[in-house]
Amino acid sequence: MALSSPASIGGGTSRAMTAGLTGKSFDVKSKMVEAALVLTLAASMLILLVLIVDLLATSWPLWTDRPGDFLTGSLNSANAQSAGVWQGIKGTLMLCLVVMVVAFPLGVACAVYLEEYSSGSRFAKWTRINVRNLAGVPSIVYGLLGLAIFVNAIGGFTGGRTVFAGGLTLAALVLPIVVITTSEALRAVPRPIREGAFGVGATQWEVVKDHVLPAAAPGILTGTVLSLARAAGEAAPILLVGAATGLLRTGNQSFVEQLTGPFTAMPVVIFSYARQPDDAFREATAAASVVLLALVLLMNALAIWLRNRYDRKW
Amino acid sequence: MNLPKRHIIVGAIALTLIAAACSSDDDTGSTDTTAAEGDAAESDNTDTATGSNVSGSLFVSGSSTVEPISIAVGNAFADANPDVAITVQGPGTGDGFAQFCAGETDISDASRPIKPAEVETCAENGIDFVELKVAVDGLSVITSAENDSVECLSFVDLYALLGPDALGVNNWSDATEVAAAVADTVTDLGAVHTPYPDADLAVTAPGEESGTFDSFVEIVIEEVGDELGVEDANVRPDYTASPNDNVIIEGVSANPTSLGWVGYAFVEENLDVVKPLQIDGGEGCVAPTPETIATGEFPIARDLYIYVSMPALDANEALAPFVDYYLGTGIGELVGPGDGQVPYVPLSTEDMAEVVAVWEARETGTREG
Amino acid sequence: MHPMIRTSRRRRRSDGAARRVFQLAALFTFVITVLIIGTLAVDAWGFLSKLADTPDGLGSLTAIGWFPRRGLYDIGTLVVGTLIVTGIAMLVAVPLGLGAAIFLSEYARPRLRRYVKPLLEILAGIPSVVLGYFAIAVINPDIVVNLFSNASKAFTLMAAGIGVGILTIPIIASVAEDALRAVPHALREASSGLGAKRSQTTFRVIIPGAISGIVAALILGMSRAIGETMVVAIAAGAVGGGLFQLTPLQPGQTMTGAMAALGFGSDQVAGDNLAFESLYFVGLLLFVMTFLLNYLSDRLVTRFREVY
Repeated sequence: MALSSPASIGGGTSRAMTAGLTGKSFDVKSKMVEAALVLTLAASMLILLVLIVDLLATSWPLWTDRPGDFLTGSLNSANAQSAGVWQGIKGTLMLCLVVMVVAFPLGVACAVYLEEYSSGSRFAKWTRINVRNLAGVPSIVYGLLGLAIFVNAIGGFTGGRTVFAGGLTLAALVLPIVVITTSEALRAVPRPIREGAFGVGATQWEVVKDHVLPAAAPGILTGTVLSLARAAGEAAPILLVGAATGLLRTGNQSFVEQLTGPFTAMPVVIFSYARQPDDAFREATAAASVVLLALVLLMNALAIWLRNRYDRKW
Repeated sequence: MNLPKRHIIVGAIALTLIAAACSSDDDTGSTDTTAAEGDAAESDNTDTATGSNVSGSLFVSGSSTVEPISIAVGNAFADANPDVAITVQGPGTGDGFAQFCAGETDISDASRPIKPAEVETCAENGIDFVELKVAVDGLSVITSAENDSVECLSFVDLYALLGPDALGVNNWSDATEVAAAVADTVTDLGAVHTPYPDADLAVTAPGEESGTFDSFVEIVIEEVGDELGVEDANVRPDYTASPNDNVIIEGVSANPTSLGWVGYAFVEENLDVVKPLQIDGGEGCVAPTPETIATGEFPIARDLYIYVSMPALDANEALAPFVDYYLGTGIGELVGPGDGQVPYVPLSTEDMAEVVAVWEARETGTREG
Repeated sequence: MHPMIRTSRRRRRSDGAARRVFQLAALFTFVITVLIIGTLAVDAWGFLSKLADTPDGLGSLTAIGWFPRRGLYDIGTLVVGTLIVTGIAMLVAVPLGLGAAIFLSEYARPRLRRYVKPLLEILAGIPSVVLGYFAIAVINPDIVVNLFSNASKAFTLMAAGIGVGILTIPIIASVAEDALRAVPHALREASSGLGAKRSQTTFRVIIPGAISGIVAALILGMSRAIGETMVVAIAAGAVGGGLFQLTPLQPGQTMTGAMAALGFGSDQVAGDNLAFESLYFVGLLLFVMTFLLNYLSDRLVTRFREVY
């Protein structure tokens, strides 16, 4: 915002005037404020840095010692030397799959209804309030929901304490996020696109299917990936649903058997290792954290990339 | 305006990969992990029926105290039998029996014998079971290694210092009167060791969710409480509780006149900073050692069990070989004070033989309740 | 019949079907809300009515501490523990989060913004279990114990609070930055046109202009801090029970910590008591507290949007 110095005007007056106009460079107080603000931001970045460096440094001996063994090893909370994360990686991917199959269509459909079919109605207004509230419900409360409904009430259908029940719980948890991000993506689609389609006689469904959804797809996809990343990092709800924390070996079970059998997930593996008193588990905890962080950050990076790649200004 | 087709294809491929990753079995995991343990397991094929042809899935739940044994045994068994799927959980003995009697688990780990009410629930659901003792868990009452004023405490002393009446007692000597009063009624659980030192009483011990807490309450406090006519006597709530045994050792060593208790295994490793006290349960002062714990001479010890479901035994082909393995290689080699072993006291040779006999005969019902 | 009309009838039919499917999906969000509230209310009521039948009755809700397995359910212990953790979290997150928001919105060049924003998003994406580990591995031994020599060595409410605070920074930063950026540019220009210095513009014009949005950010952050579970479950030394206590330098109980301890393994020592059911009662209380805070924050944001 600063003006460039008008050096051509000579004399003391002009200098004072210049100082006044280009105040920024002489404004000590503003500079100090700015420095303080930079410091707060730097502090946050420093925390992030220390966290990542500590995780890498603590887990380094394990990565040099038995990386493949750790990645392919089973959940084992009794022996740090044979503790691994393979079940956790699998469990998290399976949970994400259930979340995507359930929350993505439901969330997108809900958002389409809110934005395209009844955006001004009282029902839409209440639904929006409801969705915003759901987004703020603490995750452990979703765990109680999962335990009472998905494990106990409809346990016959989900198989009880299974990936399926855990996935449904996380789907309920991220549904509001999918709705909110999809709504934003739909709102960003300019009116003329719809009007043009209506103008040539398309029905509402055809407008949505052929024009609005494709136009909003990048935004919807970004939101979905972000919500999957959120689901992948949640521990409390699936612990309540009954994710395994002790030993889990899946032998030669098929995909379907695993979907309806005992399960665990990366965050649960970390929790299980973190609470072991044995110091030998420190490395395993840090290493498992690195794996989860890599997984979640990859998803986030994918979302950011999608957003930047397809970001359109209408 | 459409997303390019290839993105959809990429998405589909990603999904297929996830499915593939999930359905790919544990081969890699089980062959790579714990090669040493696996070798140990395979070399022991002689006394148990553990070929590598066993398959099926096993679900073990129950006591968090027994959980490490079942994990070690389960992991070694799965290493030897890569097709077997096995899950071990440790929500607690009571929760374990609730699942077990509902027919949800194959084996229930327990740090106490099954209760009559639980036997009833099991019977209602047609679950009869074989009860097998697998190890002994000894507790140590500890103080700082610098503490010379206390050598031995009886159950009566422990009740006075740590029981419900001790709420608010911050100096050993303040418990003297309670000890005298308790000793009037309770005569068969050891003499009082007054005068107590006139010094700070700082208590650090496991929290309520811990199996070690359970044991102490059941073996010592409830025992004295029952004779006093106090219902559901419990440990005083005002002490420093920690879920981490190392923290307890640290807490006890930090104060020269501290008091606390932990599993015996943790004391053995920390004799330089904490001192295990002798305990008088009515038959004189006994120091905790693996021998006195295994024979039951040391009074604060409890047996650890697994309960095998008979209906599951019929339905699940993998269960019998697993229990064979549990009683053979399992508690024979994986329990003890050594490196890589689960730190409980192994059964004596006679006890071991008896347990194997009970299992071979499939003797159902509890012998302890 | 003319083929054109038939097609259009089919098109209309599928249009109607699509509409109904979308509406059902929207209705489904209410199903979730009803299930959550129903589950919590029914089971919390079950707990309270059973508790009322015990010898001590509802008096057990005030006791010397939270010992669910002994039938002592002092809810005050949990609420105070939660407030301590939340308070510490806010001490960390408010200055750092607001500072970052003000800097990004008022001072940072677009180029810097473009690099820093994703970093804040990474901080927001860190799973809470990882921060729980960080709290026991780094925050407590290296920070809390170094600053306060009498702090407990392994677990403290303060370490948990700092961990929760770190998780709250990005929430506060992003909501507050949105609020600051929503203040019309004309106000900034008018302010500097009148000769105000930059800091004056920021603190006398922009922040007061965005105040309801900033307050909304703080309330939302507080709500998240109250509901955060894993950091507390790992780092606050959450055990089966705890005495009422006020020092953040000792392990302690919080609402979420107690729920975690009960939910993840709930064995009941003293026999047939109500320990597990109390989970739903604490859950209901947590839900109500966060709901009220979220509602308040939501109202402030809505009002803020109406102003500009």
